[in-house]
Amino acid sequence: MKLRAARLVTSMGFALGLALASLPAFSRDADTVVAAFSAETTTLDPARSSGTVDRFYYFHLFEMLVIPDSKGNMSPWLATKWEVGEKDGKAYIDVWLRDDVRFHNGDPMTAQDVEFSWQRQRDPKVSLTASRHRNVEGFEIFNDHYFRINFKQPDGNYLAEYLQIVVMPKRYFEKVGSMEAFGAKPVGTGPWKFVSREIKRELNLTRNDDYWNAKNGPKAKNLTIKIIPEDLTRVSALRAGEVDWIDNVPLPLISEFKADKRFNTFSVQNGNFVYLDFPSHNKALPFAKLPVRQAIAHGFDMDAILKVVLYGEGNRFAGIGTDSNAYDPNLKPYEFDPAKSRELLAKAGYPNGLDIPCYSLTTPREPNIKEVSEAIYAYLQQAGIRCQIRAVEFGAWLDLLRRANPPHLDGLSIHMSAQGIPSDPGNSWSSSALHSYAPEIGFGTFSQTADPKADEYVQKIQQIMDMEKRRLLIQEAARYRQEQVLGGISLYQPRTTYAWNKRIDFTPWAYPGYWHLFQLVDIVD
Amino acid sequence: MWTYILKRLLHGLFSIIGASLLIFVITRLTGDPVAMLLPPEATEEMVRQMRATLGLDRPIWEQYLIFASHALQGDLGMSYRWEMPALTLLLDRLPATIQLASAGLLFSISVAVPLGVLSAVYRGSWIDRVGKTLAMAGQAMPNFWVGLILILVFSVSLGWLPAYGSGSFRHLILPAIALGSYPVAAQTRIVRSSMLDVLDSDYIKMGRILGASESVLVWKYAFRNAAVPLITVLGVYFAAMLGGTFVVEVIFAWPGVGRTVVEAVFARDFPVVQAGVLFTSVVFVTVNLLVDLSYGVIDPRARVNV
Repeated sequence: MKLRAARLVTSMGFALGLALASLPAFSRDADTVVAAFSAETTTLDPARSSGTVDRFYYFHLFEMLVIPDSKGNMSPWLATKWEVGEKDGKAYIDVWLRDDVRFHNGDPMTAQDVEFSWQRQRDPKVSLTASRHRNVEGFEIFNDHYFRINFKQPDGNYLAEYLQIVVMPKRYFEKVGSMEAFGAKPVGTGPWKFVSREIKRELNLTRNDDYWNAKNGPKAKNLTIKIIPEDLTRVSALRAGEVDWIDNVPLPLISEFKADKRFNTFSVQNGNFVYLDFPSHNKALPFAKLPVRQAIAHGFDMDAILKVVLYGEGNRFAGIGTDSNAYDPNLKPYEFDPAKSRELLAKAGYPNGLDIPCYSLTTPREPNIKEVSEAIYAYLQQAGIRCQIRAVEFGAWLDLLRRANPPHLDGLSIHMSAQGIPSDPGNSWSSSALHSYAPEIGFGTFSQTADPKADEYVQKIQQIMDMEKRRLLIQEAARYRQEQVLGGISLYQPRTTYAWNKRIDFTPWAYPGYWHLFQLVDIVD
Repeated sequence: MWTYILKRLLHGLFSIIGASLLIFVITRLTGDPVAMLLPPEATEEMVRQMRATLGLDRPIWEQYLIFASHALQGDLGMSYRWEMPALTLLLDRLPATIQLASAGLLFSISVAVPLGVLSAVYRGSWIDRVGKTLAMAGQAMPNFWVGLILILVFSVSLGWLPAYGSGSFRHLILPAIALGSYPVAAQTRIVRSSMLDVLDSDYIKMGRILGASESVLVWKYAFRNAAVPLITVLGVYFAAMLGGTFVVEVIFAWPGVGRTVVEAVFARDFPVVQAGVLFTSVVFVTVNLLVDLSYGVIDPRARVNV
């Protein structure tokens, strides 16, 4: 019986192995590019969007009037040109549209569609980002391809964020009759048309053969975007040939992928910037004193942390990110100088150092963010700033930073937020990082700062609609921010790496912030 | 018997109400979901409006009563993030989770039964030792690790099976092994000890004396009786697997309920979390009741106690 059992097990295993080996592990359509994204959108309706991840998806279907060029400046897209003007003391922007753009259902794109899109995006019952349109008074339509956006008060942020409007089809929306129906089968002007979607699994798209910008459109016929949240599974799926393209290659594997001839890679600074924040607005805490803030700024070796903890995959910067159109190369990061930190602490009245709470974010919103913060806190120990590390998950961390309700931040915390990249940080400074807390106008929601001069800068920046003047003022504000160590200490911009196999010819779209967009892709093998 | 069933149903109902109340309070202790839904530039007025729209501006007891009255009508609320009813979101994902849990259970039984029987029949031999080692290894290795190793070996190195996703039998194999490897040890122990008891009983000895073949004795007479304890705990294992597929679902990008609920926890999507916990507690209560009732069907001796 012993022998029979052993034989039985062996033959079953052998048969199973043979059966598995004789079949392909997966089957795929020769005309389909299969990409794997690590995060999933909750909506394909641009007006319902609540975060960057949504854009990775809906920008395949929808487009904006203008998009950023390689330097982050406004560049024509669905709009051919725009002009800022002033009438009766009020600002306006005249916009001319292309006349050769059609939605996926064949309807031509007109100024009525743009106005309808604006109405949806400014309606707080529909849109979570309605406040971005709060300074717009209304539209004046002169003809199908020429209209005016009138402002209640000047809003430079509107221009800096590329006119904000994502264009949706008015007639189609009215025909399908509801937000849910539109979200379930969205129609836009983009290079890809919607086919089907299965939540937690995949999004299927097909090429828009009537795309107005066919020269800059995809050659591949179909695109399937799979959702694979686990890093190693996503990497394995690419290595096994089950997908053609992946985002967010894990940090320890980037060099391996770059050396592997079977794959192409592309590394880029992502739109977030990471900074160390502290409640300088609270006069009862040591952070209200400038020498304490300076001591913290000089108390850790960010270059070493980037090299070791982030495998070099992050760009150090001061003030404003290097790929922002307001970047100032003359502004240098704080130097690591623990002796100077101790001197500054003594000057501030803490000759024996400081004991403070230091919050570490456990949710990996950026690669190794927890480890980065803990490395900083360890360095600060040498400089006389003794951290009591407290780990918090993302939700609790948001509650801590959001100024509206307690608990309030009482120590150091790592922080990351978009800085308007590739544009400028005007909106980010007003809404979260630099302007003091002013809930009635939606300013300073996450701000740990209360400085009248910084407020003045931020308010002026918002009102300037001359983009060159705005850029210069932002650079001036950035210098003030750096000198006063306000609005946090800029640490680095994380780098993200994408990888794809030789089956496809993928060109990362030239426009910053659109790295997940399959605008230029073909199947070559 | 009917009194017993009624009593158990009442106990079950209280358990479900208790679980729903507990999760309702706990989710609200974790913080404000509006903070995660609205962008930083949202005004206080927008925050207030959003809280009112979601019903979060009411006292917690009132929120619970509204939730409970709607739940009785099959409405567990709209997901804050997915723009669809929380129940629909979960029910759409349920077949995938049931499929995975069933396959995991099937895998664990198909390994545990022969391993347990052979370990008992050849007690103290190398087969027994190998069986113990394999079973313990399954329990010692966390399923996320098993999953990743399986992907590296069978998908990347050998190219035999898909690394992720669902939709075919081949997609099911690796996740089922990853999920089913953990309970193998416990199930093997149950089968082994139960088989040892039965093999030592008089009727098996009598069978040997009468000249019955060893395989007939083991599989036809001994295993049938030895399987009773295993069958009675399988239901509980199945319920536990339904509620515990999250890690495997994430590793294999399996579009199931576990992944949906845990992602909802991190996003503070209260209706989905509440629906998920309510669903799991209903499954546990129902399965436990069915298992207890099945004792009487499988083993007539148990009916006396009932």
